[in-house]
Amino acid sequence: MKLIEILKVALAAIWAHKLRSALTLLGMIVGVTAFVTVVSLIQGFNVYIDEKIANIGAKSFSIQRFIPFEDFKDTDTIAAAQRRNKELTLDDYEYLKERATLIAKLGAKARGTPSQIKRNDQVLDDVFVTGATANTVDIENRNVENGRFFGDTEAEGAARVAYVGADIATKLFPAGNPIGGEIDIRGLPYRVVGVEAVKGTVFGVPQDSFVVIPLKTYQLDFGPLIRQRSLYFLATSKTDQGFSDAVEEARFLLRARGKLGPNEKDNFGIVTPDAITGLRDRIFGTFFIVAMVVPSIALVVGAIVIMNIMLVSVTERTKEIGLRKSLGARRVDILKQFLTEAVTLATIGGMIGVFLAWIVGKIMTVIFMQTYLSVFAIAGAIGVSALAGVISGLFPAWKAAGLDPIEALRADT
Amino acid sequence: MTETPIATATATSVVTKPNLVSPDGKIQVLIAMQNIWKTYDMGAEKVHALHGVSFEVHRGEYVAITGPSGSGKSTLMNLIGCLDTPSQGDYWLNGKNVSEMDDDELARIRNQEVGFVFQTFNLLARATALHNVELPLIYGGIPSAKRHEMAKQALGEVDLTDRMMHRPNELSGGQRQRVAIARALVNHPSILLADEPTGALDTATSYDIMNLFEKLHEDGNTIILVTHEHDIAARAHRVISIRDGLIEKDEQIK
Ligand SMILES: Nc1ncnc2c1ncn2[C@@H]1O[C@H](COP(=O)(O)OP(=O)(O)OP(=O)(O)O)[C@@H](O)[C@H]1O
Ligand SMILES: [Mg+2]
Repeated sequence: MKLIEILKVALAAIWAHKLRSALTLLGMIVGVTAFVTVVSLIQGFNVYIDEKIANIGAKSFSIQRFIPFEDFKDTDTIAAAQRRNKELTLDDYEYLKERATLIAKLGAKARGTPSQIKRNDQVLDDVFVTGATANTVDIENRNVENGRFFGDTEAEGAARVAYVGADIATKLFPAGNPIGGEIDIRGLPYRVVGVEAVKGTVFGVPQDSFVVIPLKTYQLDFGPLIRQRSLYFLATSKTDQGFSDAVEEARFLLRARGKLGPNEKDNFGIVTPDAITGLRDRIFGTFFIVAMVVPSIALVVGAIVIMNIMLVSVTERTKEIGLRKSLGARRVDILKQFLTEAVTLATIGGMIGVFLAWIVGKIMTVIFMQTYLSVFAIAGAIGVSALAGVISGLFPAWKAAGLDPIEALRADT
Repeated sequence: MTETPIATATATSVVTKPNLVSPDGKIQVLIAMQNIWKTYDMGAEKVHALHGVSFEVHRGEYVAITGPSGSGKSTLMNLIGCLDTPSQGDYWLNGKNVSEMDDDELARIRNQEVGFVFQTFNLLARATALHNVELPLIYGGIPSAKRHEMAKQALGEVDLTDRMMHRPNELSGGQRQRVAIARALVNHPSILLADEPTGALDTATSYDIMNLFEKLHEDGNTIILVTHEHDIAARAHRVISIRDGLIEKDEQIK
C-alpha cells in the first residue's frame, strides 16, 4: 500500500470524527503555539540585537563608567565600582580623542532625561531627551528618514536643534512637515532638523519616542553630565582586524590617565558587541529552558490524549480492522494505517499551532516586541509534533495490527 | 489447543502432499483438508468445534455446507478462508500447505486466493461501493487506475454499475450483499466462500443472490457456501452435512 493511499485513509478517518479530532488536538495545539511563540520571540530579539550590532557596526565599542551586569552583580560590587570608577568627563573625551591612533571616530553621549515636550497644544510626557556629538549619527548608523542629523557647527555652537524619533514627528506634526518646525522641550524652543525612520517596539517599549540634541546644548539646558545624565563614549576602530587593538589602546590610554597600577582594576567599563551577544546568549539560554517547560508539558499531555483517542479508535474500529485483515491487509498495513493516522493527526495539530503562533507573533510584533518565525522553528515544531504522533500512535497501532482477524470481525461494534 | 486431541491425529500429521491432478489430468484438487481439528480452550473445558474433518474440493465445484447451529460450519469456513488456523491437521490450498504459513503469507492468501462473503456483508460504512470493492486490490498493491477499472468491472458483474458511488446505507440488503460479492470476486480468487450469504435477506432477495452464485459458478468459479436452508443447499452440486464438528454426509446431488 502506497503512502499516499495510507494518508488518504488516515485523513478520511480523522475527518469522520472532526469534532473529536479537534478536541484531541487541543493540547498539541497549545503546546506548539506556545513553543513557536517563545522561539519566535527569542529569535526576534536575537535578530533585533544582531541588527542593532550590525547597525552600530561590528567594529564599534562603548566606554562608560560601569560594566553592565558585571559591576551590578550585588551590593558589594556596586559599592566597589562606585568607589573605584569616577564619572567620565568631557576632558576624558578630549584626552582620548587626541591620543588614540587606532580609533576612527570617537563620539560622546549623555544617558538622557525623560522630559515633557510640547508643540502648540500637543503635549508629550516622558520623552527621552539625550545629548550627543554630531559624529554619533555615523557611529550609531542612524537611519535618517527625513531632514538630517545636526552638524558639528550646531553642536559646537550649542544650537537648540533637535533630531527626533518617528513617533515625536507624527504626534507633534500630525499635518505638516516637521523639518524646520519648532518644539518646546522643558520650556525652551528647539528647531527640528531631522526625523529617524520607524524602529518599532522592544519588550513593549516603543523605540520611536526620543529626541537627540547637541551634547553641549544638553549640558547647558539639562545640567552637568553626571548621574542619570552621565557621559559615555562611542568609538569605532579604523579597521575590522584592528578592533581589539583599538579597544586595548583605549583601555591603555584611560588607565594611564587614571594612573592605575598593573594590579588595579579598570576604573571604567568597555562594552564590545561580543560582550552584548555573550550576555544575550547567557540570559536567553536560561530563559529558553524555563520558557520551554510549559510547551513541553502541553506537548506531553497532547501526546497522551492522542494515544488515548487512538486506543479508543482502535477499539471502535476493531471490526473494520478484522475486515481489512480478512481482505488481505498484513500486520504492517494495519500498523502503518494507525500510525499514519496518529502522525497525521499530531502533525495537523502542529501546523495549526504554527499558524496560531504566526498570528500571535504578528500581534506581538505590534504591541510588544519584534518576533521572527524562522523556517527552523516551523520545521522543528512540526517535526516534534510528528514525533509525538509516532510515539503516541505506536502502541495503539501495534495493538490494532496484532488483532486476530476472526476475533476482530466478531466484535460487536 | 494445548492438549493433543486424540492419538490418531498424531499418526496422520505426517505431511503428505495430496495429488493435485487426477490420473486423467482433468480434475484439480483446490482444497484438501486432512484430519482438521479446531479446539477452543475455554479455561475449564475445551470446546472441539471440529474434530478430524477431511475432504477435498476440486476446481469448479459448487459445494454447500449444511448442518445445525453450532455444528462447526462457520469454524470450517473460516479455516478454508484462512481467517483462522486449525489447531491440528493439514490444509492444502491450491497446492500450498496453509497450515505452515506465517501471518503475512496468510494475509496474501486471503488477498489473492480467497473471496469471502459474510452473512452481515461487512462493508465499510464510510466508503462508497466502489471503494469497498477496491479494498482487496489496495492490499494487493494494484495501482489506482487499474484498481478502478477492475472494481468497476466486478460491480458490473453483479449488476451494480449504477450504484457505484453509493454508500452501504444508501443500498438495499441485496445490493449490499452484491457489493460484498463483487469485492470477493474482484481479485479473481481461486475460491469464493460464503457463510450464510442469504441469512440476512428476505426470500426473494435470497433467490436473486443464489441466481448470482449460479451464474458465477457457470463462469467457472469454485464456490463453497454455508446455509441451513434446504432449498438453498439444493441449488449446489454437492452437499456436505456437518454435525458436532464431524462430516456426517457428503453427497453429490448434481
Ligand atoms: N471463539 C470461540 N470460542 C469458543 N467457542 C467457539 C468459538 N467460536 C465457535 N465456538 C464454538 O464452536 C462451535 C461451532 O461454532 P460455529 O460458529 O462454527 O457454528 P455454526 O455451525 O457456524 O453455527 P451457526 O449455524 O449458528 O452459525 C460452537 O459450539 C461454538 O460455541
Ligand atoms: Mg455460523
